Amino acid sequence: MKIQHQVNAAGSTRPIVSFSRFNKYYGTYHVLKDIDLDVSRGEVMVVIGASGSGKSTLIRCVNGLETYQAGELHVDGYDMPNAADRELGGDRELASIRRGVGMVFQQFNLFPHKSVLDNVTIAPMRVRKRKRAEAEAVGQKLLERVGLRDHAHKFPGQLSGGQQQRVAIARALAMEPHLMLFDEPTSALDPEMVGEVLDVMRELAVEGMTMMIVTHEMGFAREVADRVVYIDRGHILEVGTPTQIFDDPQQERTQTFLSRVLRH
Amino acid sequence: MNAMPLRWLHRNLFGKPADAALTLVIVPFCAWVLIVILRWALVTADWHILADSARVLLIGIYPVEEIWRAWFCGFVLAGIAGGSLGILLPAAVPLLAGLAGAGLIGGLALLAAGAADGLLAVGCLWTALAAWALLARSFTLCRFAGPVFLLAFGAMFLVLAGPGLERWGGLLLSVILTIATSCLVLPLGILLALGRQSRIGSVRVLCTAYIEVMRSIPLILVVYWIWIIVPLLLPGLPVPALLRGMAGYALFFSAYVAEYVRSGLQALSKGQVEAAQSLGMGTWSTNLDIVLPQALRVTLPALVGQILDTFNGATLVFIIGLTDFLRSGQMILANPQNSSKVYEIYLTMFAVYFVIGSAITYASRKLEAHLGRGTR
Repeated sequence: MKIQHQVNAAGSTRPIVSFSRFNKYYGTYHVLKDIDLDVSRGEVMVVIGASGSGKSTLIRCVNGLETYQAGELHVDGYDMPNAADRELGGDRELASIRRGVGMVFQQFNLFPHKSVLDNVTIAPMRVRKRKRAEAEAVGQKLLERVGLRDHAHKFPGQLSGGQQQRVAIARALAMEPHLMLFDEPTSALDPEMVGEVLDVMRELAVEGMTMMIVTHEMGFAREVADRVVYIDRGHILEVGTPTQIFDDPQQERTQTFLSRVLRH
Repeated sequence: MNAMPLRWLHRNLFGKPADAALTLVIVPFCAWVLIVILRWALVTADWHILADSARVLLIGIYPVEEIWRAWFCGFVLAGIAGGSLGILLPAAVPLLAGLAGAGLIGGLALLAAGAADGLLAVGCLWTALAAWALLARSFTLCRFAGPVFLLAFGAMFLVLAGPGLERWGGLLLSVILTIATSCLVLPLGILLALGRQSRIGSVRVLCTAYIEVMRSIPLILVVYWIWIIVPLLLPGLPVPALLRGMAGYALFFSAYVAEYVRSGLQALSKGQVEAAQSLGMGTWSTNLDIVLPQALRVTLPALVGQILDTFNGATLVFIIGLTDFLRSGQMILANPQNSSKVYEIYLTMFAVYFVIGSAITYASRKLEAHLGRGTR
């Protein structure tokens, strides 16, 4: 399956996400420094790093949940408007980008006042103007795919964390995204539920979905990733295949980080 | 079996020595107050005054020959009240039948006593019960309840407006003023609350200033001020005092509603908006589908409390020359013939305000439970 990804990645000419000389500040605090990074179509990229290193911020920039101050970011054929552009508008590009980029959050962020099925159908109905019946048929199929067919009419609060996160994945998939972002999708889960969520993500990877994943699940990263990015204090310190990063890290900091995470 | 009430008494009223002492003071005192009031109400009081003044209490100075319009409102309001009950509570057949029967007997008794309106009152009650039964049975009908209520309310306004807005009065005026204000205040308040969080600086400053100014001045001032300023702004156009009053209430209370809604908006986690945005939903859709339903749910108890505040605050319209419920009572007492009936009238008004107030509070609690389904 890995090989297939690489063929896909090599086959497409333009990367789906491309950062160049990208900089982000929170006020005066420099969060992301001179990021240069391309993600090819069909590629699974895992971003690792210590907490506070900027890895979540990096993928939140990809669908514009965070603004940036300098450099360039292209996503799915659009120029992401930067902070100055957003002051003056830029809503249309942002909307176009977001339509094609799905996101899964650490805290699930399901809509608690809507049933599971409504969670999955609301965006296709409102954003893609699908008819309810059509959206629900697709939604049911997606729920079946994440193993929650029988829970369609429950409310999020009635589900376990793992089930909620799988609904969140189905909700993002309902928009037929070209790229899926995962921001620590298993960090808020009880250990016994991590597996069910990773299984769904693994299937997505096999089907050739382009994914950017921030995670602490190193075993999963090694197994699924095409490339692993190590971020340290806002810099991309190292990029490589899982084998390169996990077995033969070049940078001392990467080695220290990995020895800390992999020890237990 | 006999031990149960005793145990309850022991646990709740005589649990500790201090409890027992308190009970021995409070229970006799309450009993004494109750006995005094009951003896007055049943023996001394002369309730004939109510039969004579019921019309004034209910509709104030509304012209007698146009009274069918008031009855129309009675039917519509009964339907709305019954329908609202139907949305919140299941319709138990024995309860409905019992109420319908009791109403009929009461109506016949009134008819026998010479009050021809008794049957119309029974009609109102039955309308309410029918609406209750209908809406409690059918989810489809519940969906249309909101718009239908609004339409019915609009129709009521038009029908009642026939003889002129300045003739409205009594309990009917208080109720209509409250409903109209509440209908205006919610959208205004939501817009102000959203405006206060707007990305656009000028909108944000304007909304904040409006809210803060309104909250720092008393209601009576706003109502009075709108009343005098409208003729200055629109010299050629005579705007009826009632509409000016309504505008005053709406403008004043919308600032409070905005603050309630804002507290609801702040209770919402940032992740909800981010989730909606990441799905590509626009500002409108995010607000209407995700943010407001959740924020309003949190805000609901406060909003219903707001309706109650409006109803009670409606007593202030007398300063712009309108005759609301309280003012109608005072009008009756202004007649020297009735000057000895102060207690009867005021006790009646107390009872009516109490019943309506408790009904609204009860409805809010039910509504909270109703909307709370599924969220947790």
